[in-house]
Amino acid sequence: MSASQPQRTSSAEPDIRTEPGPPPATAGPLKPTERPHPLTPFVRGWLVFVAIAIGWGREIVTNAGENQFELRGLLWILPVLAVVVLLAAIAGFISWYFTRFVIDDEELRIDTGAIFKKSTKIPFERLQSVDIVQPLAARIFGLAELRLDAGNSTTKLRYLTRSKASRFRDYLLTRAHGYQASIRDLDQQSVASVFTDLGVADQPLVRVSPQRLIVSFLLSTEWLIPAAISIIILVGTTAFEMLPLALGALIPLLIGMLSLIWRRVIGMFNFTLAESPRGLRITRGLTNLTSQSVPINRVQGVKTSQPLLWKPLGWYRVDIDILGHAHEDGDNSESTASSVLLPVASLDEVELALARVLPGFDLDEIELHPAPKRARWLRWFDFWTLRYGWDDRTLITEHGWFTHVRDVVPHAKTQSVRIEQGPLQRLLRLADVHVHTPRGPVNALAHQLDDHAARELALSQLDRARAARAAEREHRAVDMVRSDDHEGGTELLARFGIGRDQLLGSGGESEVFAVDHERVLRIYRAAPGRTADQLSSLYDSWRGVQIGLELPMIMEMGDLNGRFYTVDRRFSGRNFSNWLQQADMAQRRSALISFLDATERLQQLPSPVPGFARLIGNGAPQQFGTLGELLSNMLLAPLQASRARLERDVPSVSEVWNRLHADLAQRSVAPVLVHGDICPPNAYVSQGPQGPVVTGIGDFSPHTLHADPLMDLAGGVIFLELEPYAEASADAAWLQAVATERHGRDIVGWIDVYRRYYGFYFSNAYEFDPNLYAWCLRQLGR
Amino acid sequence: MEELFAPPAYGWKRLSPKYRSMRILTSLVFPPILFTIPAVIVGVTSGKWWISGFIWAAAIVIVIIRLAFVTRSWRSWGYVEREDDLYITHGVMFRNLIAVPYGRMQLVEVESGPLERAFGLASVTLKTASPETGARIPGLTPEEATRLRDRLTELGEAHASGL
Repeated sequence: MSASQPQRTSSAEPDIRTEPGPPPATAGPLKPTERPHPLTPFVRGWLVFVAIAIGWGREIVTNAGENQFELRGLLWILPVLAVVVLLAAIAGFISWYFTRFVIDDEELRIDTGAIFKKSTKIPFERLQSVDIVQPLAARIFGLAELRLDAGNSTTKLRYLTRSKASRFRDYLLTRAHGYQASIRDLDQQSVASVFTDLGVADQPLVRVSPQRLIVSFLLSTEWLIPAAISIIILVGTTAFEMLPLALGALIPLLIGMLSLIWRRVIGMFNFTLAESPRGLRITRGLTNLTSQSVPINRVQGVKTSQPLLWKPLGWYRVDIDILGHAHEDGDNSESTASSVLLPVASLDEVELALARVLPGFDLDEIELHPAPKRARWLRWFDFWTLRYGWDDRTLITEHGWFTHVRDVVPHAKTQSVRIEQGPLQRLLRLADVHVHTPRGPVNALAHQLDDHAARELALSQLDRARAARAAEREHRAVDMVRSDDHEGGTELLARFGIGRDQLLGSGGESEVFAVDHERVLRIYRAAPGRTADQLSSLYDSWRGVQIGLELPMIMEMGDLNGRFYTVDRRFSGRNFSNWLQQADMAQRRSALISFLDATERLQQLPSPVPGFARLIGNGAPQQFGTLGELLSNMLLAPLQASRARLERDVPSVSEVWNRLHADLAQRSVAPVLVHGDICPPNAYVSQGPQGPVVTGIGDFSPHTLHADPLMDLAGGVIFLELEPYAEASADAAWLQAVATERHGRDIVGWIDVYRRYYGFYFSNAYEFDPNLYAWCLRQLGR
Repeated sequence: MEELFAPPAYGWKRLSPKYRSMRILTSLVFPPILFTIPAVIVGVTSGKWWISGFIWAAAIVIVIIRLAFVTRSWRSWGYVEREDDLYITHGVMFRNLIAVPYGRMQLVEVESGPLERAFGLASVTLKTASPETGARIPGLTPEEATRLRDRLTELGEAHASGL
């Protein structure tokens, strides 16, 4: 069937590559591998030198009081030191020489070892986080360490140039999220700055200024207590002229304070919490620059704390439990540091961050119950701060006066529950309830409840946890079906003579593989029912229509051992969404104009039925009397899923709903073809003579309608805001201005109406795409 | 008061009486042995054997207290397998009740030390992702321990859910 297709020539210019390129030669054992940066052994040797120098220095300092001549006696260490450094350098060189790695489209592999060869191959899906760490020495040379966290093991790759490390990080995180990408796509991305290491597409959410960090540190309980103790010891002993006696106590105290400064000030310097296309990212550190990603699906609980002296300033500190981040040695400084979400932040910033970490949770709505009055006999120092409360998703406990602590545990993350009661509590009919979470800073403990309330809380917590787990399992089951095993698919791929490495992209319904330059193979995850037939006949009906855009075309359809597939025409050019991320502003805006043109050209396509209608899906084509009826019908299914959530997340949802219907009732317009999901991921861009041009629109779907021409215009503008590059919102605003200039000021109001419509339409995204859901809430709150 | 730690709906399963025998033996044997060592050292080095006498007296007091509590402590232990969770309770002065959902169990361990083996006992420990869970049932007969382990593993698989 494919032979009957006319040969097309690709319109792509050399500088815009057809994506992805022709199948790479099969990976043989002799695939080129890379070594880390040649300066690596030097930097590592230097670290050894510094470590020795510090150790030696400390020795001298602690002995200084006793013997002035010790220093000269220690000079013999210098040659030894030189030998040690030399040995370390040689070891470092050997280790560097035999370290090779491959990060490409197929695999992530690190080979090490001179005598005992070790090859570590980490499947992309197993990567849980990819962090960049830059110790001072490495930073001076512009090098960085890549820390790969997979399951329980952490693999370090050091050192790479900073730009390379951040490029690999972005690529690996993309792959870890299950998206298909090519390492070559990332080549043009610009390099992060030396101090912040924020990627181009990162949007900072919270920045902690050095002043605030230092002031907050000086006012924190952890600092004030040892500081006060030291001063008391110092003053007391000097008064009685017994200072040397106190040194034994003072020195460890001072060392403790220094390490606190190191962790809390130096380690948290320039702390920035940013939103990147692949989730939250934290960068911090003055000497060692650390950049870590926050895997939101592994957050087990959140702890907000406020030392007494922060209260007048309205500051809070936020820590999170991340599964696997606190390793067996529990409390070492690196793992405690990596559990910090915000070292110090105002209430607004805390809420902003919590909205990302616990998307869709409304903690303010939860009613908190105080401990009974009689608890004051046991907790005379803070009984008025003891509180607990829950809703159907989370449990909150609060306690503490000197440092007020609030622990939040999502029910789905509850491990086990314990009720405890000591003899005094028994007399007072009080009990404590612990809700256990994995290792980390969060420790949800409801203190001193009335014993009936305690029992009620513990037992009902188990039920809530069970319900929440069941809900999560359901979601996971859906995901499993989506990212299903490739059994039937393998046979299909074999039949077409291609491998899984030809995957171009995957969505909820299907996976798409490149067959050759002309064709792609679309393998459906579940039988698409009538959708494929409907799409095929829709596409057929458009064959003769020339609108200056490439449109999808189904060349072949069938199923093999129960796996349904189609062979579709391959679009020329690159995916518009990927392209936007690396294009500069002038290119983007020229392409966006043609994107706007494309949304308008789609209106010329004929519809199989007249009147307002749903064109694809069960029972389609289904005709409706008015636009309002059609769109109400479209909203039925998503709202059924998301109604309860919306009622909670949008206070005035019924008002928004009524206003939308009132507005739609007033709209009188002749129906045209509406794509319904016209966003950059569904468009293709090629290099034209006058610059980049959108040349194709794909992925018509059950969203496709015969309805208001403004729907696609609005969609083209507002879905742009969802693109994961920094200036996406600015571009969307600009595009709206262009559209307004073309069609008059009237459309602004209608674009807002469709913002609300799409806000409702995609609101069931809370189940699988928190970003999209957050976007929906913004549309509904306008 | 009791109802705070009562299992929901069912009665507790109790530990084997042999566990009480074992605790009686350890209470009788270990404190005297432990206290004899310093008592002898003090007596031999200083010659003041009356101090040793006090140490031995302290040992006897501890033995008496422990014996007084052995039966209550043994009786305070209880566990019950419900549809979705395992409940364990214990403690005389400091009482507690822990509930572990089967879906959260990562590991079920059966242990039996030399002393436990001599008494024909074994203990079962449940581990979750949380180090605080600490769900251990001592003093089970080996048959009961094995049955419990198999049952819990089976239930754990049936309820398994990720983190």
